[in-house]
Amino acid sequence: MPRLLATLVLGLFCMSSVSVSAAVDGAPGYERDIRPLLARHCIACHGSEKQESGLRLDSPAGIRLGGDGGLVVPAEPTEVEDRSAADNGPSSSRLLRAVSREDDEISAMPPEGPGLSAQEQRLLTAWVAAGAPLPAPSEGGRRTSDHWSFQPLQPPALPAVADVAWLRNGIDHFVLARLERQAIRPSPEAARQTLIRRLSLDLCGIPPSRAEVEAFLADDRPAAYERLVERMLGSPAYGERWGRHWLDLARYADSNGYTRDFAREIWKYRDWVIAALNADLPFDRFTIEQFAGDLLPNATLDQRIATGFHRNTLINEEGGTDSEQFRVDAVADRVNTTGLVYLGLTLECARCHSHKYDPITQREYYQLFAFLNNCDEPKIDAPAPWQVADGVLERRDELRAKVKSLERELAGQEKEFTARQLAWEAKITPEFRATLPGPVQASLMLPLDKRDATQKQLVVELYKKSDDAREAFPLVAQIAALKAGEPTIPTTMVLARREEPRVTHVHRRGNFLDLGPRVTPDVPAVLPALPDGSEAPGRFELAKWLVDPANPLTPRVIVNRYWQRFFGTGIVATENDFGSQGEPPTHPFLLDWLAAEFVARDWSPKAIHRLIVTSATYRQASHARPELQDPANRLLARQSRLRLEAETVRDVALAASGLLSRRIGGPSVHPPQPEGVFAFTQDPKPWEPEPGDGPYRRGMYTFFWRSSPYPALMVFDAPNGNVTCTRRVRSNTPMQALTLANDEQFVTAARALADKLMTTGSADVNKTIELAFQTCLARHPSAFERDRVRELFESQQRSFAEDLEAAQEFSGLPRHDPATATAAAWTSVARVLMNLDEFITRE
Amino acid sequence: MQDVHAPRIETTRRHFFRDCRVGLGAIALGSLLNRDGGLLAATSNEQPTRSVVQAAHVPARARNVIFLFMAGGPSQLELFDPKPELQRLDGQVIPESYVKNKRFAFLKKDAKLLGTRRRFSRHGESGQQVSECLPHLAGISDEIAIVRSMATDVFNHGPAKFFMNTGFERLGRPSMGAWITYGIGSEAEDLPGFVVLQSGPRGPRGGSPNWGSGFLPTTFQGVPFNGKGPPILNLRSPEGINSNRQAEFIRAVNDLNRRHLVDTGDPEVATRIASYEMAFRMQSSAPELMDISQESQQTLDDYGADRSQPSFANNCLLARRLVERGVRFVQLYHTDWDHHGNQGTELEGSLDKICGEVDQPAAALIKDLKQRGMLDETLVIWGGEFGRTPQGEPRDYLGRDHHIEAFSMWMAGGGIQPGLTLGKTDDLGYYPVEDRVHVHDLQATVLHLLGLDHLKLTYRFQGRDFRLTDVGGHVVEKLMS
Repeated sequence: MPRLLATLVLGLFCMSSVSVSAAVDGAPGYERDIRPLLARHCIACHGSEKQESGLRLDSPAGIRLGGDGGLVVPAEPTEVEDRSAADNGPSSSRLLRAVSREDDEISAMPPEGPGLSAQEQRLLTAWVAAGAPLPAPSEGGRRTSDHWSFQPLQPPALPAVADVAWLRNGIDHFVLARLERQAIRPSPEAARQTLIRRLSLDLCGIPPSRAEVEAFLADDRPAAYERLVERMLGSPAYGERWGRHWLDLARYADSNGYTRDFAREIWKYRDWVIAALNADLPFDRFTIEQFAGDLLPNATLDQRIATGFHRNTLINEEGGTDSEQFRVDAVADRVNTTGLVYLGLTLECARCHSHKYDPITQREYYQLFAFLNNCDEPKIDAPAPWQVADGVLERRDELRAKVKSLERELAGQEKEFTARQLAWEAKITPEFRATLPGPVQASLMLPLDKRDATQKQLVVELYKKSDDAREAFPLVAQIAALKAGEPTIPTTMVLARREEPRVTHVHRRGNFLDLGPRVTPDVPAVLPALPDGSEAPGRFELAKWLVDPANPLTPRVIVNRYWQRFFGTGIVATENDFGSQGEPPTHPFLLDWLAAEFVARDWSPKAIHRLIVTSATYRQASHARPELQDPANRLLARQSRLRLEAETVRDVALAASGLLSRRIGGPSVHPPQPEGVFAFTQDPKPWEPEPGDGPYRRGMYTFFWRSSPYPALMVFDAPNGNVTCTRRVRSNTPMQALTLANDEQFVTAARALADKLMTTGSADVNKTIELAFQTCLARHPSAFERDRVRELFESQQRSFAEDLEAAQEFSGLPRHDPATATAAAWTSVARVLMNLDEFITRE
Repeated sequence: MQDVHAPRIETTRRHFFRDCRVGLGAIALGSLLNRDGGLLAATSNEQPTRSVVQAAHVPARARNVIFLFMAGGPSQLELFDPKPELQRLDGQVIPESYVKNKRFAFLKKDAKLLGTRRRFSRHGESGQQVSECLPHLAGISDEIAIVRSMATDVFNHGPAKFFMNTGFERLGRPSMGAWITYGIGSEAEDLPGFVVLQSGPRGPRGGSPNWGSGFLPTTFQGVPFNGKGPPILNLRSPEGINSNRQAEFIRAVNDLNRRHLVDTGDPEVATRIASYEMAFRMQSSAPELMDISQESQQTLDDYGADRSQPSFANNCLLARRLVERGVRFVQLYHTDWDHHGNQGTELEGSLDKICGEVDQPAAALIKDLKQRGMLDETLVIWGGEFGRTPQGEPRDYLGRDHHIEAFSMWMAGGGIQPGLTLGKTDDLGYYPVEDRVHVHDLQATVLHLLGLDHLKLTYRFQGRDFRLTDVGGHVVEKLMS
């Protein structure tokens, strides 16, 4: 203990010695160092909006051109000039003289505020001294940049290392080479039981069963681990686990958002994602189908369902809103999401003005916007294959035709109908009226001629439900019966081709009412161009371009995010910002090697996942190594301990208890939740737990209301589904403790586990405790742990024996059963294990 | 056992302190779980958390905030901003110059002006004008500052609420309470630093994102306390688990976690241990907090509080109790001020009713805080997401549409100039003509009073430094004493 304390104390006063910027060195770069510096200090007055003294410092062209006072940095030597003859000294740069604030002739800049720091002055001076290198203005219409992430992907060679015995695959070369530079040894391999639980949680999101653990421990043939990996990559749970990761990015939810937040039906998209991952659909296909599946030749229903990706945007149904405003917001969200998910670029910054730090202009933002501004947004039938085979669709259509004709017939009796309805209305009692929804009540209060069309319809529908209407008009009952018999066919939200394309303009200052110049779809000039001959490019062309092997960003961004899922942090820690303000990669060559592998292996996600989990790097133990002063584990001299994601917290509890349903897909479900969840929403939401296995489905199937999400998910940092989430935070709060300790769902799981312990355990308390540890943590307890749990068991058993009523309440067993106190005590044991930090952590 | 036990608090504190260097947020996280004075005092000779932040920003004038959020948008023209000229022009079509290029939720451009039917008079030494709708508030008008020149950007309820709370009209940014607890932590040992209470017929539009933590850690999100039943979700132990059994449970969990802390060396385990300790304390402190029967009958009568049912009055009293216990930011939502002019939403009986619900408790809160010497360090804010139009709506009863150009709010306590009327609107009450206070200005001022510079309180997310005031905001010096 004292050593631990000492190391923690040491950590107090030392900043991490792992310098991230050590990855890049040499002279200051324009994109990395100079552009942000100018953006911070200068472009408010020398940018796109104001050009004091005729000077613009927000583009290489402007910097080269200088202002009214002349050049601000030395001119580039022409070919005939000798570079050495050009005066590149700092004294020749008006820019340096201005920011020095010590020049007699040139006004001190910036005129207000603290000015440039000493470090910034040094950077600028070094840059000017190096000849103020600026990216070439253009090459064949493309903009160039010296920023690392825009450079073409070139697979690097594997670096040589000393300890070749440690290596398992290419990944390890890069990691070990870095460690050996600092003379650091990697951590030993994690214990086998840790490995199987880690692997199972990472690949499938559920813990291994006891039988699986035992089989793995007993398997002493070579490649036991690799076989385990294959089995898990082949498990249908893999698609659920990795599907949920993608749904974070897709901002998937089951309701429309904003204030009214009505339910929507789009779970077919969720199921498509799961199936695609299980089938290892290559990532380029996966992308193209989600952006433009409907535009593929002979598009299948599944390919149309896939376009739900960009239908997960919010819809505002509040009264008195401007629908165009919210449609534009949704398209902007599609642009932003595409930028963050695929390009690792914060495009949103360019919605109101050109990006301050990255080479993306406002015009280019709206060129991207134009790709996504041209689709219709229908809801389509998405029947299951068996429904199609059974002719359910035809049956439904026939039935609807029949209803329509009956309704026409009923309309012929309108006069009598209305008269009868008014007579009926006159007899409505205030008590009955009070039970009706607000809008219906309000409509009833109005005389017939004051009701608008909707209000009239509300009252007509109300009347049609009455006995009076059914007696007087047999058609009413007939129609109702037919409608009740209509087969349920799932629907889903998709994109569809728009016949009359919209014209896209720049929105000045991001205001959709203030239209600027017209733009046509195109990609940012700093990235590779669209292929020649793409006339009138649309969603399909955008998707193809995103996953073109020449695109330097997509493969880097995607493999980096895979890495983040396995290690907690990406090789680029700012997983959604590969621009100049993001962090550079800690292992740039590893990132490029992985990205190149991804493309070379036909964009197979499973291939990259396999590569990562079979590396020696991944298989290390996760114990802290404070002596390395690398608390964020950027060096990868160990694995990281990661608190499980919200859904997985639920899934491990249900799995340990044996309650977990393994059914995949289908409409979202409503597992029990504490009372009072809707006390704070505008309208209470329907929430009725489904019978059968409904309460025990995996967390990812829980119905997600955007305005009032399931609390046990939110408390563990599930994303809110309003915008794309590329990385979840991992908080650690008392509310989490209250949820795990007291929430009905978790108590139910503890009871079920206790039941399992008592039926499969032995009479020997210690042996049953062993079983409990193996079930929950995939390992044996230490002697201390066993004794401490036994102490709790015995004390709780005594306590419950004296209070059988409490024992009954807690265990759910009948009070007269002599085993009740024992059952309650085992439930206590189960509850303790399910509340351990280790239980909700991937070690 | 002993060796594992003894250093646990130390370890926990050290973990928090080690994180301090990463920024204000980590300090706040620490202080959520540890009393702030003790946090740093235990590990170094430095000043407690509050001082650390004060050194970084500006001197604090207030320690806590109580935000009385009047959801729906109260009509300033009926309550705080008398307009004789508007009354003279009652029934006439509004001049076109006012409504050119403007958008409204429901109104047409030819809507007719509506003079108020309410009487205004001057009150107290300050001579503040408050209408007859709020007699109790009129009685304390020397304690409050009324801002008549508030302005916002968005005219729908949900987005406008997000704008007032988070500085941005779409959901997903951190709310003011989250920013503040992130910035300076909380002194509450047994309760969350940011608590939300609600009263009225329904929840506020937009729901939980109004008190969300956005991209800040969830530690800083507002925790809704229910007025009825257990105040926090899952606060009650399971059936059959009494306090002793729960304590035994927590002890066992933490004993095992402590062993795991030693095994892994991961400070996250120490935080988990502290979380369980605080959760257990909250199980008793939260119900104790909500039990207003401990208050004297006199106090209950002053507020108009009634033990038997939740109300705005009860919530005002709870707000004081929360602040007493060190909770940093308390937000009370009361619905529904959306007086468009249908039955149930008119500026007649419906306005009287909601004023009756709100007036006495809000005034009692100010008096109570003052009497207990807490007003100086507690900032109280009263207002909604926007105001209401000078035009009436062509509905069956008297009503007004949403108005974003000018509306009124009042503030009191912590650093606010008492008795002040700030800002002036034109003759119709349409636009501010003096001292316009934009929502971002209000937010900058609130942060300033708490000792935080709105330009420095930032958080990097998706490649950008975000702040509560987005890209605007100026501190309103005139509001401060």
